[in-house]
Amino acid sequence: MKRTTTFGSRARVVVATMAAVGLAAGCANPQGLGSGGGEASSEMPTRTELVIPYSEGGGTDTWARFLAPYLEKHIEGNPAFTPKNVPGGESITGSNQFVQSGGTDGSQVLVTSGTTYFQALLGRSEVQFDFTTMRPLMLNGTGGVIYASPSTGLRSAKDLANPEKPLTYGGISATGLDLTMLQAFDVLGTKLDATFGFEGRGPARLAFERGEVNVDYQTTSAYLTQVKPLVDAGKAVPLMSFGMSKDGKIVRDPNVPDLPTVEEVYRQLHGKAPSGEAYEAYRAFLIPGYVYQKGLWANEGTPEKIVQSYWDAVDKISKDPKFASSSEDVLGGYPLYSGKEAEQELQEAFRIKPEVREYTLDMLKKSYDVTLDGN
Amino acid sequence: MLDAALSALGALLDPTTLAFLVAGVLAGLVIGIIPGLGGTGAVAILLPFVFIIEPHQALALIIGAVAVVHTSDTISSVLIGIPGSASATVLMLDGHEMAKRGQGARALAIAFLASMAGGLLGAVGLTLSIPLARPLVLNFGSPELFMLTVLGISLAALLSRGNMLKGLVAGAFGLLLGEIGAAPAAADYRFTFGTLFLNEGLDLVAVALGIFGIAEVVSLVARKTSIASGSGIGSGWGTGLRDVLRHWTHVLRGAFVGIWAGVLPGVGATAGTWMAYGQARATARRKGKNKFGKGDPRGIIAPESANNSVEAGDLIPTLLFGIPGGAPAALLLGALLVFGIEPGPRMITDHLDIIYTIVWSFALASVIGAALCFLCSFPLAKLSFVRFPVLAGGLVVILFTSGFQESQQIAVLQIMLVLGAIGWLMKSTGFPRAPFLIGFVLSVPLERYYYLTANLYSFSDWALRPGVLVMAAVLVIPLVLAAVRWAKARTARTAARPSAGAQSPAGDTPADEDDSDADGTAAPPGWTVAVTGGFLVVFVGGFLLAQGYSEKARLVPTLVCLLGAALAALALAVQVYRRRGTPPDETQAKAWRAELGWVARAFAWLVGFVVLVYVLGLLLAALVFVPVFLWRVAQLRPHVIATYTAVLLGVLLLLQGFADIALPVGYLTPAILVA
Repeated sequence: MKRTTTFGSRARVVVATMAAVGLAAGCANPQGLGSGGGEASSEMPTRTELVIPYSEGGGTDTWARFLAPYLEKHIEGNPAFTPKNVPGGESITGSNQFVQSGGTDGSQVLVTSGTTYFQALLGRSEVQFDFTTMRPLMLNGTGGVIYASPSTGLRSAKDLANPEKPLTYGGISATGLDLTMLQAFDVLGTKLDATFGFEGRGPARLAFERGEVNVDYQTTSAYLTQVKPLVDAGKAVPLMSFGMSKDGKIVRDPNVPDLPTVEEVYRQLHGKAPSGEAYEAYRAFLIPGYVYQKGLWANEGTPEKIVQSYWDAVDKISKDPKFASSSEDVLGGYPLYSGKEAEQELQEAFRIKPEVREYTLDMLKKSYDVTLDGN
Repeated sequence: MLDAALSALGALLDPTTLAFLVAGVLAGLVIGIIPGLGGTGAVAILLPFVFIIEPHQALALIIGAVAVVHTSDTISSVLIGIPGSASATVLMLDGHEMAKRGQGARALAIAFLASMAGGLLGAVGLTLSIPLARPLVLNFGSPELFMLTVLGISLAALLSRGNMLKGLVAGAFGLLLGEIGAAPAAADYRFTFGTLFLNEGLDLVAVALGIFGIAEVVSLVARKTSIASGSGIGSGWGTGLRDVLRHWTHVLRGAFVGIWAGVLPGVGATAGTWMAYGQARATARRKGKNKFGKGDPRGIIAPESANNSVEAGDLIPTLLFGIPGGAPAALLLGALLVFGIEPGPRMITDHLDIIYTIVWSFALASVIGAALCFLCSFPLAKLSFVRFPVLAGGLVVILFTSGFQESQQIAVLQIMLVLGAIGWLMKSTGFPRAPFLIGFVLSVPLERYYYLTANLYSFSDWALRPGVLVMAAVLVIPLVLAAVRWAKARTARTAARPSAGAQSPAGDTPADEDDSDADGTAAPPGWTVAVTGGFLVVFVGGFLLAQGYSEKARLVPTLVCLLGAALAALALAVQVYRRRGTPPDETQAKAWRAELGWVARAFAWLVGFVVLVYVLGLLLAALVFVPVFLWRVAQLRPHVIATYTAVLLGVLLLLQGFADIALPVGYLTPAILVA
């Protein structure tokens, strides 16, 4: 304590300035991504950033990082791919930044996942990206399997017409990927009693194993490793899968070929193909949420030549022997699609009719007492 | 089983695997030393390599780093009172107190030995519990997890003993801050004020660095002295070793608590280490004199032993259920996937050798890491004898960089500044910050498991489960015993107590206060009243805001705010009542005015730095700020300033270039500096 100046006018000025500066700074956010804008050259850049709106080490991050070396090897011009994570805001933050920066020269591409899509489909007010005009470059799907506990008395999906016991389900959040599960039961007309608040699909599966809930769904890869042993031990009964898309039609998932799709189950229960608002809503969320869950996207206006190089690379990557041998586990056995194959289906899904969105929000409110902010 | 264990040991002794393990250990140690860069930092550093090198080397690298990140994060907590990570905040109680008395080397020696033991015990515990883990985890349902969070939150009361009202107010404030962001059981976003940035809630590291770290920097920077006031380095290794041996039961108990906190998904490392500290403090009370909070070796041993075994325990949900407990575990999962191994129930039958390789790598890494740190503890301890302003120049830059990593949103810098101010106010007005942190960490788990329990079970179903009953007993029995003791002691106390009770505003007994204000001038009572009033306003405001949320998002914040408001009002009443008739203390008021001037100036430096970051980006801001600060405040000589700044910038550039560490970008940052 050498200095013993008292708290005088100088310090007061300092405090006042501090407050003013703090306020001013509070109104602005200087962070942007890379260069942005600018004249688009149709040449492939030498360096491309993979903008990942999720945090390091997660599923989408792993997917992108796993893919990066193959992109580097097989895309024309061999650009160097560097991942950049911009997590937060349920992936809205990073995706918004990506479209705001507006780069169309291929020096940045956006990595997306189901959560990103659902925010747009549900019409969240913060969303500034529009997947109906952005260009899909490469996509990779996943599947899901719905199963039940033997305690429900269900022996197959047929019994869903009239379950003996109330079906209980543990979810993370009604507006996340759980939504597709809720919609599937809505399509079938079977009542599901859902509890939200689980930390992830893993903890929800533990709750199933403990008997806290009696119906669950897992992505196909989690089903095969975590749930199949339970099925073999007679502790779980598989009911149906979300299937996968082939030529615009939902067909059986090749990873679980014995399981009927939700559509087949509907036909079994109701004697006709599913249609109507409930099914339309289910489809609108299923296609981006599962069939093309993970993807690489470029901004609208990106030169065709650059987009085409990504589309062309898909085939080469799929045939890469190293990729073929190690992708099974990381990609869950689902093919890598080029944006060309998927663009139309995706655009259709994202051009969701207002009444279908309305129907979905209504279903959430009526059946699950969930209201979204601002709706 | 034994076969698998032994063959795994053989695989581990392969030279390349060992080399990668050691590389991982070194990376983990370095990242751990940097305040705030714990698990997330380790992931950032390893990521660029994990998907390039061979999978089994990647495994060794990750395990090596994960096992030791919580060994070296002790160093800054103990020596400079800046949390090395969120879970290392607990060492700022006894560990830092010991260092302040000049016994930094002893504190570090205790910490590293306990760490080593904790890591080994964690590995042994894992080996033994692999066959049992699955059924045990499955028996621990939502009701048990709910009770565990309640038990954890009751720690807030234990940690504010002697300062009960203020401690509980701080705990309620922590609970409230923890509720910012998405509600666990509803689709609402709470207290986000329309900003996307707050949707995911406040990041624990940024909060811990703000409330403890920035607050500490602000109050120490102008004092110009070193942290330790002892005459020499004091006793070191020998004493530390003896301390650990004498309290070996605490090593065991800490490791036990740690393993379980790791095994159960949803508890987390921070809550786990605090629980380990809490059980040591709660049970040691009966054995003679209680020195907890003032540099008791047991207050270092238990949490230090726990924080390494937490990481070991965390491997169980990762490997047997495919549920990663944190970012490093998620990275491990990713590496295993590339390896072609899918964690899950079949791991035990199909890949037992991999499990044991991981377990033994973990044990080996913790021994190597702790041994390296132990050897360095003597020279490192000299850090606490460096004049604080000299350290502060670099610390300011590092704290903000670390706090930035998880959210990577520049707004977090402002949040840290505000939290720093709150932390300093709490510190000077005697609001303990440990209960705050407990509340913050357990806020969402408490709410989550409350709703899950209430929705999935009927009350009679869950309340009578054996696990719930046991934890309820743990919660209630000490209260009953305390009540009995209190009743017995009451007569004796009223007779014998001298009349010097009203030393601090709420009748605290400073002897048992964890946030000892020995190093700062205590605020005059008027300030305490104002801060308490401020808390009251926050709780009332929170209550009003909460009424706009949907039913399932409203309940918990409403209860927390009502409780907080009631506690704050009560504390306010007590303070006003005690203040009557106490004449203002002139010398104290004068000292306080001086303190205020210093703190305002220190705070202005920090604000200046953040403004610079907004304009120039962190790298250039550091280039401007550090030399000026070292020249004006630390009054170093020019060549020292030049070297210091160059080294710091070099480290930042290295981290940015090779380790995926993100540095905030400003309005005028040249494109070449943007990674």
